[in-house]
Amino acid sequence: MAALGAALTVFLAGVAAFLVLRWAGDALSPPRPTDPHRVPFQGGRPPEVHAWSRFHVRYYAMTLIFLAFDMEMVFMYPWAVVFLEEGLVAGVEMLMFIAILVLGILYGWREKAFRWA
Amino acid sequence: MRPSLSPGFAVLATGAAMAAGIYATAVLDEIVGGIVSGRGARAAGAMLAPVRRAAQLVLQRRAATERPDAEAWALAPALLAGLAAVGMAVVPFGPGLAVAGIDAGIVLFGAAMALVMVAVFLQGWSANSVFPVVGGYRFVAQALSYEMLHMLVLIAAALPARSLAVGDIVESQAHLWNVLRQPLGLPLYLVAAAGLAFWGPLRLPDAEDLAGGTSAELSGVALLLWRVAQRAMLVAVAAMGAAAFLGGWQGPLLPGAAWLALKTLALVALLVAARHLLARVPVERFMWACWVVLIPLALLDVFLGGAQALWAAP
Amino acid sequence: MGLRPLARLAAGPVPTFVVPGRGGRRAADDLRLDGRLRLVDSPRAAAVLLVAGTLTDRLLPAAMLAHDQIPGPRATVQWVPEGRRDRLAGTFSAPVLLRGDVDVGAAVAATYRELLAGDRPSDPPVYPDVPPAPWRGAGPYGQGGKGMSGGVPYGRPLAGRAPDRDGLELDRLPLEIGPLFPPFPPGLILRIDLQGDVVQQVAGWENALAFGRPPRDIFRRALREPVALAELEVARARHHLRWLSGTLRLHGLPALGLRVLVLARRVGPGDVDAVASLKRKLERSRSLAWATRGIATLQPEDVRDGPGGPVARSAGIRDDLRTEDPAYRGLGFEPLTRGEGDARARWRHRLAEAVQALELAGRAGDRLVEAAGGVESPRGALRIGGSPSADLLSRLPALLPGREWGEAVALVHDLDLDMEEAVRAAREEAA
Repeated sequence: MAALGAALTVFLAGVAAFLVLRWAGDALSPPRPTDPHRVPFQGGRPPEVHAWSRFHVRYYAMTLIFLAFDMEMVFMYPWAVVFLEEGLVAGVEMLMFIAILVLGILYGWREKAFRWA
Repeated sequence: MRPSLSPGFAVLATGAAMAAGIYATAVLDEIVGGIVSGRGARAAGAMLAPVRRAAQLVLQRRAATERPDAEAWALAPALLAGLAAVGMAVVPFGPGLAVAGIDAGIVLFGAAMALVMVAVFLQGWSANSVFPVVGGYRFVAQALSYEMLHMLVLIAAALPARSLAVGDIVESQAHLWNVLRQPLGLPLYLVAAAGLAFWGPLRLPDAEDLAGGTSAELSGVALLLWRVAQRAMLVAVAAMGAAAFLGGWQGPLLPGAAWLALKTLALVALLVAARHLLARVPVERFMWACWVVLIPLALLDVFLGGAQALWAAP
Repeated sequence: MGLRPLARLAAGPVPTFVVPGRGGRRAADDLRLDGRLRLVDSPRAAAVLLVAGTLTDRLLPAAMLAHDQIPGPRATVQWVPEGRRDRLAGTFSAPVLLRGDVDVGAAVAATYRELLAGDRPSDPPVYPDVPPAPWRGAGPYGQGGKGMSGGVPYGRPLAGRAPDRDGLELDRLPLEIGPLFPPFPPGLILRIDLQGDVVQQVAGWENALAFGRPPRDIFRRALREPVALAELEVARARHHLRWLSGTLRLHGLPALGLRVLVLARRVGPGDVDAVASLKRKLERSRSLAWATRGIATLQPEDVRDGPGGPVARSAGIRDDLRTEDPAYRGLGFEPLTRGEGDARARWRHRLAEAVQALELAGRAGDRLVEAAGGVESPRGALRIGGSPSADLLSRLPALLPGREWGEAVALVHDLDLDMEEAVRAAREEAA
């Protein structure tokens, strides 16, 4: 628990340090934006619309394959710890599981899930 | 039971290690860039160049955009830095010595690295400007591709150690480093590391074709913090690479921390050289290569590593 | 005060955003070799706005906006060729004015030092501090009370939806990119509809450098009078290497790009070996090959019946005006072609042409090129009344749709457009 606490402390300290530095930077040289300054950079012309939009994420098919693999990762952590005790059986079981997931990759490859333009 | 460190010492140790690593990265980058461009590199100039750039950015005002997501914009570099600090904290610098030597160190490291996607996407999204937004979405595709690769090779490194604690993984390499025991591991890990730090050939969210991408609307301290956080991430993943594949703190004569620092620097130097010598990969091509080539290779690495561990186990 | 030591430390390479005007593109490019400057891709990262060359009426507002986008402290340096008009005088408050053949790097560095030391006030904004578009809608952000989608915050609407080839109807962003977008040729303004990161259509383009006469380089001179073949071919090799330097920068190899730029500036007929060795080294790079193979591929029909040039020749079209020239035939000239038509083919082809040009220059003796209606410029067939840039520009609306953003940018760069050369076409279109 102490170690986890240390990790959390370090995380919060990192975040806090950066927020403080940013605030200090603003105090040292305060931003003075005018309205034309705020125009987003597109090479010298103002934008017509806001950049925030319902973005067409064309790699959505890949994200589904990722989900399948991400679940597998959850099983793989404990498997890695007990693998040597369980021996070959654990290895073969995981191999079967992975083989099914790899079929997913092959299917995705055939369906061009890893390309979008 | 591992000795626990006082919070103050934990923060100081991590901060000092990161700061030294970030500065060393910047100096190395300057030297390698000078050599590759043919301008030549002088040590004194390279030592001063990062300081000069930082001073320039401190004196510059911060840019603003129309209706940005101000809170998220401030948080993005802080989040990236915090995650890098967590990554650094789980890496042991001596026997039983780590800022956060938790039993499931690999899991915590993986969890922190998974959130890098959030930090980079936030940075891209919050300026409400088109190049950063495209860069942010690009990074999501990149992150979802290297993520599996990254964790699979680390799990392979955990197999011979029978443990997810980074300290145990280091100790399991007392006789043979993982870089030799699992030869596929380190090269695949370095691809994921470059991806995590959006560095060099995988600088996709910050690419030239987006006029800087997620950093296109950044200036002053905001840009400085973003660059520092990015290099912090680079140092953290290199440190983990040194622990998982190069035997971490182990080595003769020198103290453990010095060995870890040397090995980390060696990996950082490799990544810096890659930045100046390898072309940037198109995002679609990277995604394809990750899923069709590298992830199957990483799975092979897991099973070959497992077989080797079974064969070598007493 | 407390900032003095920091200001002294900061006196390193000056982050500079360059506005290349008419006649300023090449000089602006050469500034990359000046260790006192660091050219940046976005005005946000800059401290000094450097206007190189003559501004046109259409470039001026873009320069003004870029100026205001620099967060400050900022300064403006204007570098005008001898005999040209200084266009900033009325609009910018106190630009540093340089004329003719001066040390621009030194002037920019001095200006930046004054700025840091507080001896020079930061430039006030050029545009008045009023919203660029009228604020409409209610609520704290002008969101019309229905969230971001309800109103027009900052006077700008949100993007609307449009159909797409995969059947999903998501937002389409109408964008105007340029004329100062660094990967694009200076002066090109492209109106692009972007859906996700894929170009859906090119709604049009504008030439911000459309003003006055086209530049008088050696190729244009060859249209009117005989010029030495050796000189022409050396200029071609230099042009291709300069282009390659930009290509390496675009593909993430800026340091190598600098090395090539140094070579491009000094290369001559005696440097065949240096360029051939560069060619071998780059062709051995697997990463560059992998990053460019199959990217931004052009089919032969995309470039058929055009100006020829390296873009067409690397896509399998064997058009080259030099084959009709007796001076070249006497040297045994055969045009190089390759079939792939992708980004990799284009940089390999241009390198091969650079080597070939230097070899020709070495064997040319005092042969003269006497143009019979057209000259083969490094961009393709240059004729009186027609330029390769203008033709390639008019093909963009057909070439870009369906490409991922990075690929589209690489293609625009590879076409190697010169907006000053395309002036005439813009005029004809307007008429």
